Amino acid sequence: MTKSIRKSIKTIYTPESSLRHPLILFQAMWRDLLASRELAWRLLVRDISAQYRQSILGIVWAFLPPIVTAWGLIIAKDAGAINVGNTPIPYPAYVIFSMSLWQTFMEALSAPIAAVSSAKSMLARINFPREAIILAKLGEVFFNFGIKIILIIAVFIWFKVPVTWSVLLAPLAIIHLVLLGTGIGLLLSPFGALYNDIAKIIPLILTPWLLITPVIYPVPKQGWFSTLVNLNPVTPLLVTARDLSTTGMISEPISFWIVSCLAFVLIFLAWIVYRLAMPFIVERMSS
Amino acid sequence: MTSLEYLNDSHKLDRDLECDRDVVLSVSNVSKRFCRDLKRSLFYGVQDIATELLGMSRQTDSLRPKEFWALKDVSLELRRGDAVGLVGANGAGKTTLLRIISGLIKPDTGSVEILGRVAPLIALGAGFNPILTGRENIYVNMSILGLSKQEIEDRFEQVIEFAEIGEAIDSPVQSYSSGMAARLGFASAIFTEPDILLVDEVLAVGDLSFRAKCTRKIADLRIKGVSIILVSHSSGLVLNVCEQAVYLSLGKVKMTGRAGDVVSYYEGDLFGSGVSIQPGMMMVSSGSHQVDSPLKMIYIALKDRDGNILDYPVTGQEVVLAIGCEATQSFENCIVPSICFEDLAGGGVSDDPTILAFAPHHEGLLLSLPVGKSEIQVTLNPLVLRSGKYGIRIWLSKLPLPNGLSVCHDFKFEVKPPAFDMPRESNMFYQPRAWNVSI
Repeated sequence: MTKSIRKSIKTIYTPESSLRHPLILFQAMWRDLLASRELAWRLLVRDISAQYRQSILGIVWAFLPPIVTAWGLIIAKDAGAINVGNTPIPYPAYVIFSMSLWQTFMEALSAPIAAVSSAKSMLARINFPREAIILAKLGEVFFNFGIKIILIIAVFIWFKVPVTWSVLLAPLAIIHLVLLGTGIGLLLSPFGALYNDIAKIIPLILTPWLLITPVIYPVPKQGWFSTLVNLNPVTPLLVTARDLSTTGMISEPISFWIVSCLAFVLIFLAWIVYRLAMPFIVERMSS
Repeated sequence: MTSLEYLNDSHKLDRDLECDRDVVLSVSNVSKRFCRDLKRSLFYGVQDIATELLGMSRQTDSLRPKEFWALKDVSLELRRGDAVGLVGANGAGKTTLLRIISGLIKPDTGSVEILGRVAPLIALGAGFNPILTGRENIYVNMSILGLSKQEIEDRFEQVIEFAEIGEAIDSPVQSYSSGMAARLGFASAIFTEPDILLVDEVLAVGDLSFRAKCTRKIADLRIKGVSIILVSHSSGLVLNVCEQAVYLSLGKVKMTGRAGDVVSYYEGDLFGSGVSIQPGMMMVSSGSHQVDSPLKMIYIALKDRDGNILDYPVTGQEVVLAIGCEATQSFENCIVPSICFEDLAGGGVSDDPTILAFAPHHEGLLLSLPVGKSEIQVTLNPLVLRSGKYGIRIWLSKLPLPNGLSVCHDFKFEVKPPAFDMPRESNMFYQPRAWNVSI
C-alpha cells in the first residue's frame, strides 16, 4: 500500500476568519484551483453530454437566439422602425456579431449563480474544491461561444466582411469580457444562493444595460448619451473585440486596458469572497 | 461469553502496545449553533459572511435570538485504525458533527485537527446526473471525491465489480432502482482509500448480501489502517464494527467508552424514557383491593436468592419475586395467583404489551396461606428478561373463580443489562446456554 509513501496533509478547522492568515489562504486557494482542473473538466463533460443527449435540435440551440434577435432587428431597421445610423460593417453582420458577444457576457455573469444553484446537493454533502463548479460553468460559456463563432464565420463570409490578421488577438479581448462578467457574477453568487431576489434582479439590470452598450447601434460620438455609453465598462471590451476582428485598429486602447485591469482585480477579489462565504452558504442549505 | 470478551481485550492490548499510533482526528470542544427560523437564518448567514470578510472575530460562544446549539462542547479523538460508533436519537447532531469533520461547515467554537484525507459516505451518488450512464457517473462521482484521472482508471474495474449491477451499468442512472443507485454510489466511495472514513447511516441500503459485502470491505479497510466513524441506528452493526462509541444527545456527548456499554446506555434511554421507576420494594396502596377482603397484598419486591432486596435485577441473575401478604383466615390449597409481565417499551405481539403470563392453577398449582403475614415467593432462575422497564400485574384469587381477593397493577421495575453484550435488536430475551464440541 502506498500509505507510508503518501504525504499526510494536516488540516485544521477553527471558527477563525481565514483572512487573518492571508498567506495560508492564498496557498489554499491556489492548491484548490489546481485540484479542480480535472473535476471541472469532468463536470463540464457531464453537463454538456446530458444537455445534448436529451435534445433533438442539440447544437442548433446555441445558434438560434442570436439569429432570431438579429433577424428581428434587421427587419426593423430596413423598415425604418428604428434609426441607428451606419455601421462600419453590413448591419446584419454587425448585429449578429455584437449580439453574440453580449450574450456571452450575459452568460458569464449568470454562470456562477447558476453553477451554485445546480450544484446545491453536491455542495451540501461533500467537501470538494468549489472552484470546480465555477470553472465548469465557464467552460460551458466558452463552449457556447465556440458554437456561435461558427455562425459568425458563416455570416462574415456571406456578407464578405474584410478581416485582418488582428482577428487572432480578438479572443484575448473576449476573455477579458468574460472575466468581467464572471467577476460580477461570482461576487453575487453567495448572496444569490441565499436570496432568490438576486437571480430575479439580474435580467432586470441586464436589459437596460444592453441598451447602453453599442450592440445594436454603432458607437455614438457626441452628446450625453455618448458619455453614458463610454462610462459603461462593457463598451471598451466589446468594441475592442469587434475592432480586432474587423478593422484591425483599436479605437479606445486606454479605456480597454483600464477596464481589463479592473476586471482582473475584480475577479481576484470575487474569488476570495466566494471562497470565504461558501461554508456559511453550505450551512444554511439543506442536504 | 467470557472467552469472547477475553479475545477483544487482548486484541486491544496488542494495539495499545504499538508505538506510533498517530492521532488522525482530534475534535476539541466543538460547538455549532443553528437557527430554526428561515428568514432569520438567511440573515445570520449574511451577517456571518460579512464578519468573515472583514476579518473580525465572531462572537460565537453565545446564542443569537432564535438560535439553538446543535452541538455543544463535543470532544473526540481517533487514532489510526480505530473504529468509533456514533449513536444518538434523530436530531442529536450526529450528521452535523460529521459535516464539521469533513470541513463542510465551520465550527463555532473549538477546533478540529485532521491528518490525511477524509472520505464521507454521507450521501451516495453525489454529482450523479440521471441522464448519463452508470459508467460515466462513476468518473464524475470519484472525481468529486478527490481522485485523479489515473487513480480512477486504476480502480474502475474494481468499482464495477463491487457494485454488481450487471448490464445496467451502461444505462442511464434514471432507470436504476434506488437500491442500484445506492450500490453504485457506495462502490465508488469505498474505493477512494481515504485515511478516515465517515459512514452515515448508509449501510442500510442494498440487499443482505450486499450489506455483508460492505461490512467485510470496511473490515478490510480497517486492517489497512483506515480509521472509521460509523453512524448507525443498528446497535448490532455498531457492536460488530466498532470498539469505542460515543452517545450524542441533543448536541452533547452523554457518554463515551466501550461500544457495548455506550450502546446499552443509549438503548436504555431510547426505550425507557417517560416512565419513572422507583427501585426497591413497593408498598401496595390500600385502594387496590376490596376493603373487607380476607387476603391483602402488603408489599411487592424483587429479591436475590439470599433474600436481599434488589433495586435493579440483572438479566441472567437469579431473581425472586416476593409478594408480601396478610390474611385474616387461613386458606388451604385454594389461592390462585396470576401474574402478567408487561414490557413498558411496548413489545407484545399485538397492542397488548403483555409478554409473559403465569397462571399456575393451569399447571395444577394452588397455594396455601396461613393466618397473619406471609410471603409468596416466585423464583425466576435465571431472569430471561432483556434490559428495559417492565410492569407486573398480580391477581390473587380464591377458588372457585372468579373470586378476586387482591389485585395490584402498579409494580414497575427496571432490568439492567448483563456484563456481556446483548443488543436489544437481536435478543428478545436471554437464553442460557452451554457450548460443547463433541467428537
